[in-house]
Order: sequence, then structure tokens, then C-alpha cells
Amino acid sequence: MSLLEDLIKFPVRLMQTGFAMAGTALHSAQTAIETVLDVRPANVTAAPFDGPPDLDHALSDLANRAARIVYFMPHDAEALPDAFRNLFAAARSSFRFADLTDIRNLTLPLRLPFALGTLLTDAGQRALEGMDAIGSPRYLEFIAYAFQIFSEFPVYVTLEYRALIERQQQWLKEHPEDAATRKDLGRALSKVGRFAEAVEHLNRAAADDLTLRSSALHEAGVALFFSGQYAEAADSESKALAANNENARARYWLWLAAQKLGGYPAAIPAAHHMEMKTGHAKATVVYEDIAERVGLDKTSGGRSIVVFDYNNDGLLDVAIACAHGGTSLYRNNGNGTFSDVSVESGLYHGVNGFGMAAGDYNNSGYPSLCIVRMGFFGGMIELWRNNGDGTFTDVSVESGISAWAPSFTCSWVDYDCDGKLDLFVCTNVGGVFDRKVQHKLYRNNGDGTFTDVAQQGGIIAPFGAIGHSWGDYDNDGYPDLFISNALGRPILFHNNGDGSFTDVTAQAGLDVPALAFNAQWCDIDNDGWLDVIQYTWSVHEDTIHSMRTGETPRFGHPTRVFRNNRDGTFSVISPELGLTECWGSMSGNAADINNDGYLDIVLGNGGPLMDRNEPMVILENDGTRFRNVTFSAGLPIMGKGHGINCADLFGDGRLIILCSTGGAYPGDLLTTSVFSPNRRPGNYLAVLLTGTKSNRGAVGARLKLVAGGREQHRVINGGSNFGCLPPQQHFGLGALEHVESLEVWWPSGAREHFTDLPVNTRVRITEGEGIWTTDPALTSPA
Amino acid sequence: MMVKNMGEKQEIGNPLPAFSLPMLDGSGQRNPESFLENKRGALIVFWSGVCSHCLRYDQYFNEFTTRYPDLGFSSIASRLNETRAEMTSSVRDRHLTFPILLDEGGKVARLWYSQQTPRCYLLGPQRELLYRGAIDNFRMPIDPEYRAWLDPAIESFLKGEPIARPETASFGCAIETAYYKLPGQL
Repeated sequence: MSLLEDLIKFPVRLMQTGFAMAGTALHSAQTAIETVLDVRPANVTAAPFDGPPDLDHALSDLANRAARIVYFMPHDAEALPDAFRNLFAAARSSFRFADLTDIRNLTLPLRLPFALGTLLTDAGQRALEGMDAIGSPRYLEFIAYAFQIFSEFPVYVTLEYRALIERQQQWLKEHPEDAATRKDLGRALSKVGRFAEAVEHLNRAAADDLTLRSSALHEAGVALFFSGQYAEAADSESKALAANNENARARYWLWLAAQKLGGYPAAIPAAHHMEMKTGHAKATVVYEDIAERVGLDKTSGGRSIVVFDYNNDGLLDVAIACAHGGTSLYRNNGNGTFSDVSVESGLYHGVNGFGMAAGDYNNSGYPSLCIVRMGFFGGMIELWRNNGDGTFTDVSVESGISAWAPSFTCSWVDYDCDGKLDLFVCTNVGGVFDRKVQHKLYRNNGDGTFTDVAQQGGIIAPFGAIGHSWGDYDNDGYPDLFISNALGRPILFHNNGDGSFTDVTAQAGLDVPALAFNAQWCDIDNDGWLDVIQYTWSVHEDTIHSMRTGETPRFGHPTRVFRNNRDGTFSVISPELGLTECWGSMSGNAADINNDGYLDIVLGNGGPLMDRNEPMVILENDGTRFRNVTFSAGLPIMGKGHGINCADLFGDGRLIILCSTGGAYPGDLLTTSVFSPNRRPGNYLAVLLTGTKSNRGAVGARLKLVAGGREQHRVINGGSNFGCLPPQQHFGLGALEHVESLEVWWPSGAREHFTDLPVNTRVRITEGEGIWTTDPALTSPA
Repeated sequence: MMVKNMGEKQEIGNPLPAFSLPMLDGSGQRNPESFLENKRGALIVFWSGVCSHCLRYDQYFNEFTTRYPDLGFSSIASRLNETRAEMTSSVRDRHLTFPILLDEGGKVARLWYSQQTPRCYLLGPQRELLYRGAIDNFRMPIDPEYRAWLDPAIESFLKGEPIARPETASFGCAIETAYYKLPGQL
């Protein structure tokens, strides 16, 4: 850290404090006025088809629309009249709620300054928090990126891109010399899959404006790559490098094209080559993609992946949320194949899903699904109850969880240990100027309904978050909540066991900013105390730096492992574990994929933009360090990894890696990949728990297995990492042929101890019965 | 309120439900039999003039009946809130010559369990379902990783051979989503 950076940080901290204080004061004043006038902002429980329902939402909507207008307008004074017309139309749309015959709306001018003040202080706090995470040198670039994402998603998800493209085409007819707009048009065409037209415009923009030449040629190379013209893509990226040798993205995409071509074409100068320094450590397992062979290939644009046993037949089934269609449900046929039962199940009607988690909230033996949507925009939170007959019913409204919120992840947790699963929905912001929709902790009332107790319990967060994870870090019997804020410091809420939570982030030593997506509690060092992994999302230049050097760039944030110090504090141990590379991890999962007794890590990487394709990464853990074995494990470059799941789908001890791929734009679609190890890499034991006093799925249960004198610890997780891991716990045993003991710590507080367990099978344990029963492999290998 | 159609998804080999829809060009009502008459089968595609995926296949659809004279062809426009004027302008600007049926309210899309455009249904002479899914794996034909899905199915059918892969994923834009009902975002 340089003196300059310290000097920058000081006023930033001061400003953060100032914004926080001003924000608190303005919020208090606004609340008081609104309470007196009986005009408190509405909880948005349904999709806002008629526009924002109140002043707060209207101001946010207008600010976001204004940002979009500025983002999309040509950089030319002649575009101003149109921009003002659009702004006027936006104001009318945002404020259509204002019924001037309602006398309370006459107070709008009085409330407006406070609403505007809180909007700006909220946005200001987020902006400053982001600077800590990104680092000041790249901050402006990141802000521009954020504006792009938040401006474009609403336009693309509503299919209004055609109007946008036509508008740009019309402008260029009248202003053919505007290379910047031409480049924007080229990128827009690329995003919708019109690659040939995109290349034409991008090449022309590159020729017309030398300041845009390198970036436009790079984008043209990306469009050529997506259209399968790899030699032309390589040529375009090489020209981009010739125009600017520092264009790291061009160098990386040239490397990607060269991989497709089997090496760099002879005409590409050696100075433009890139060596991939990572991913070549020797893998213990080699994979092949079996998605088509086993029938898990019917979903495009997949997001979360849930592995669960929806029909309670003992076999693991798969559900995949789909950004552009209905939720897919695949039934395990027990013969190494799956059947698509999306329609029969009713889940087909759960359209545009993003995050998803399975939980048996009514203790029926049949897990239900929560679906959340579009964490960069907004969508309905839905609960689909499993009817136990192969069908699901949308019970969002009658259960009381129906709400409109931007969210990427949700999970099931029995936070009050009453034997009934509660539901947590982690919310983000849906626009640069959105108000933060508070996270939701829905307490299970036991009668099929839920009550949001998040704020009452003290779960109040100022910033948007993408991921989270529940885990009992202090072993007091109550699960605690780690929230992975999208931009800034994570938050650790300690569960006080009485329905309240305390923010202990700073005292726990977790007060370390980063840009991060998901998180996962797991016992990485097998000491009986849960550690937490935060899957960080790095800017593209940082990931390219790591690929080229195998090292951490300045300001870089590699995957973070916070080791539990067993005293309520945590230490970052990523460097000691060899986790030094930066990736754009949108999802991740820790599982013992090579059955050696140590948790490995699988990362689903990438980013929303078209030029952000990255490999899915496998980090094998040998008990001391992680080694990147991606390429030697036979994994191809993937694209954009969303849901990552690891599950013994066929009951033969091989953990299959499932990965949803594909991006947000129409031109960037892929189907789900399913990677199977070519052999079982070691012995294993799978354990399936059924709670009786505890919740039936035993979510939150802890397991300690001892084999060969060595402990392994697991926790049953109710979802979060863009999906939900299978209920059964998988222990790798290497060459060991005997398990000395297994201890189960149930969420109810009961503990049970078992000895002399077999290997290479699944055992079932029901709470309170004191026995285990074998449940041999039920299916044939794929 | 969307009509939900549950638990009756048509299996490969079974007839698809009948329908009768008006043509976009005002030339009257059509049903699947209109396209099966004197043909060995027909291809029905759920389509949208706004969908950028459909745009990729303009030429393919325009030339379909020339390429496969033994098959009938029609598209069905079911996308929520897509206006007749938008579709007509797409037809004019893109020189589309294939038939377009108007499925206002998306009833046929729901009846046939179609959620994305373009989604293809290859029918036999008795309206039986032979193939359902995408045209290809959404790569460009020049891409070494390109895989056609629909054409091999058609060719197998025309040769009287079993279709090796009668169902594939759908790539494309949603036909019906809450996002189309929101106020315009631009």
C-alpha cells in the first residue's frame, strides 16, 4: 500500500462517515414526515406493471432512467433535444402513480428533498464502498462498467434492444462520422448475435477513429470468435494489439482463438502471444462432458442448479433455473439417464429463474423450491410447494413470501432451531440508483405461511449482496449468516439464538473489502470449526494477469478463505493455501471431487459482457495447498459459469460437476455442461440424514467422520451458491477401506455417535434411531 | 392471469393438439392440416419478429419449403405484447416470405408447451410429433463446433429412418414473461 493510496483512503473514509451520518439524518426525517402523512413507501409484493408505487421508488426509477438515457445517447450536442424529450417521458412514466386528487400527494414538494437526499446518500455510500474494493486507479472504469450493466439489462430482458439498435442505426444515417456510436452499435449487434453486422460496424469504427481502433478491433475479434471464425478473430485481435500493445483483453482473446485453431497462426507476431501460466498442475481426475448422453442437455441459459431428491425415491434429481424460459426439472431414471419432467412437474411455469434453493419446509419428505430473479434488475420471489406426487404448486401469495426484488440467491435455514425450515432471500440493488431492498428472512409459521423477520431481527444491510451462506461458526448451535456484499465488505451476522442477530463483522476481522459473488461455510481445515470461502469476482484485467503470471495482481482479490480462529475471529489464509489467482467467480463450490479426504474447489467464472469468457477452474487440495488443474483435468474453456454443483448423481462415488453456462445477452447462450470423472478416484462414504426433531432434511446438521485416524467435517447446507448442493454428504476416503466413526450433531442439539461404518456405499441415519443402514449404490454408472 | 397447462406434455410420436389461427397477412384462418395437405409432414416454428435469434434464421425459413418440398411450413407468432404492426414491419424490412400465424395471448404456445423462440415442431402426416427443439446448437454454421439438430431429424424422417435425437434444448427469447408487461425501459 503506497502513501498515495493511504492519502486517498483518508478523505474517502471521512466521506463515508459523512454520507452515513447525513443518510441516517435524512432517513429519520423522511420517515417522520411520511409517518405523520401516512405515506410510507410500499412493500412491493407484486410486479410493478403500473410503474413505481410511491415517491421513493419513482425517484429511483427516474434516476435509473436518466442514467440509461445518458448512457445510450450519442456524445453529441445534437442528441440533446432527443435526450430531453426522453427524460420528460421518463419522468411521466416514473411518476404515473401520483394521483393529484389525493390530498396527500400535495405534500410531494415537501417530501421530495428528503427522498432525493436519501437516494443520493445511499448511492454515495455504495460508490465509496466500491472504491475500497476496486482500488482507486481502476475505479472510474469500474463505475462505467456498472452503469453499462445496470443500463443494459432492463433493455435486453424486455427485448427493447431492437428499438435501441434502430435508434443507433438512424443516428448513424445522419451522422456517419460518429465512430463512438458506431462502435456502440457494433457491440449491441454482437450482443444480440448479429455478428456479421457487428464486425462491419466495429471495423469501420476502428478505421474512422484511431483512439477507438484497438478497442473496436478487439470487439470485432470477439464477434468473429462467437461466429466461429477463429482465424479472423485472431487476426482482428492481433491488429488490436498492434494498435495498443497494452490491450490485455485483445491478447487474451487472441489466445482463446489460438486454442480453437490448435495454436497461433504463423502470421501472428510472437510479441502478441500469451502463455497460459496456470491450470496445468497434474490432475488426479480427468473429465468428460456427459450432458447429452445422460439427458441433462435440454436447458439453455441456465443459472442455478439444484441437486435434490424431489420424488423421495432415493435418487438425486436435478433442477436448473433458466433465465429465458421455464425451470427445468430432470428426474433421475436410475439407469444412468435423466428424463425432462419440467412440464409434468409444473416448474416449467417458473420462468426467468436465477437463484434457487430446495428445502422441505413442511417436513413432508418432499423438498420444495424457492426461486428468485434478476439480481441486477428485479423479479418475483416465488415458492413452489412440492405436492409429493411429482408436481409443484406456486404458493407464493398464500405463503406470504410474494415480493418483487432483485436477487441472485436464496437458501433454507432453521435459524431458530424449531425443526421448521425458514427461508432467506438475499437481495441486491436493481439499478445504480435503486433503494436497497432489505434482505428477507421468512420465519416458518408452521402452517404453510411465512413472516419476514429480517429487520425485526436486526438483519439490516446498507449494500446490495449477491451471495450468502448460513453456518454456525461459533458452535453455539445456531446458524450464523455471512453475507457476501457485491461491492465492499462482507457482513457476518451472529445469531443470538433469540431471534435477533448482531453484526460482528469488524470484531471477527472480516472487515475486508472485495468485489464478491457467492460464499460458502465449510470446514476447509477439518478442525471442527467452520471456515468461510468467499468467491470473489475480479475485473477482467486482473484475471488475465493471473492467467499470464499465475500470481495476484496489485489490488487483486483472489478467492478468499477466512480461517476460523476458534475465538470468534477469522484470518485470511488464501495465500498460504496457494489461492493467489484472480478469477471472475460468479459461483463456486467446495467438494472432495477426487475422494482424497480434502475439500477441493470448483469455480464457475466469467462476467456478463460478451468479452468476458473464462475457464471453469478446478483447484485440487492436497491437504496443504490448492493447485490449479483445470487444463490437465480436460476441461474446455467454458464461457460464463453460473450454477456450479458437485453431486454423486449415479451413486457410484464419482462426484459429477454440473455447470450452467451462458451469459445475459441473447448472443451468448450455451447449454448446461455435466462433467464426469473417467473413473472413481478413491473410496468414499455418502451419508444421508433424516431429521425427526430437527427439520426433516437435517439442514444445518454437522458431521464428523474419522477414518485412518483423520477427521473430516461437513455441514448440510440449505443452498446459496447459485443453487443447492445435494442433501447427502460425500466423504472421500482415498485407499481407506474402513471408517472408524461418524458423529452427527443435529440442529435440534442432539448428538449421535456411530462406529465401524463401511465404504463405497451410502448410509442412511434417522435422528434418534441410533443406527445406520446401508443404502447401496442404486443406479448404474452413466 | 396466465392459463396454466400442466401435466399433459405431448410425447414424441403422439399427435399435437389442433388449433386454428389467423394469418398475419389477413388471408384467413389456418390449422396444422393446412400445412400438412399433400405433404409428408410439416414444420411449425414459434417465432417472433423482435427476437434476435429468429432473425438469424430468416433465410432458412424463407427457403424451407424449397429445400424440403415434401414438408409444409408455418411460423406462429405468440410473443406477449408483440403488435401486429411490429410483425408487419419485420416482414417488410426483412423480406420475409414464410407464413406467420397470429397467436394472440399465446394460447397455442401454452397448448404446445413452447416458451422460447425459435422453437421447432416437426409433425408427421397425422400431426404426430416427430421432433421438438432447436434448429442447431446456436453456433454459426462456419464454426467447427456447429451442430445442426433439426436438419438431421428431417432427413431421417424423410428417409423413413428413426430420428436419433428427437428432442433438444431450446435457445431463444422468452415468449411470455413478466418483463414484457413492465413499462418501457428505454
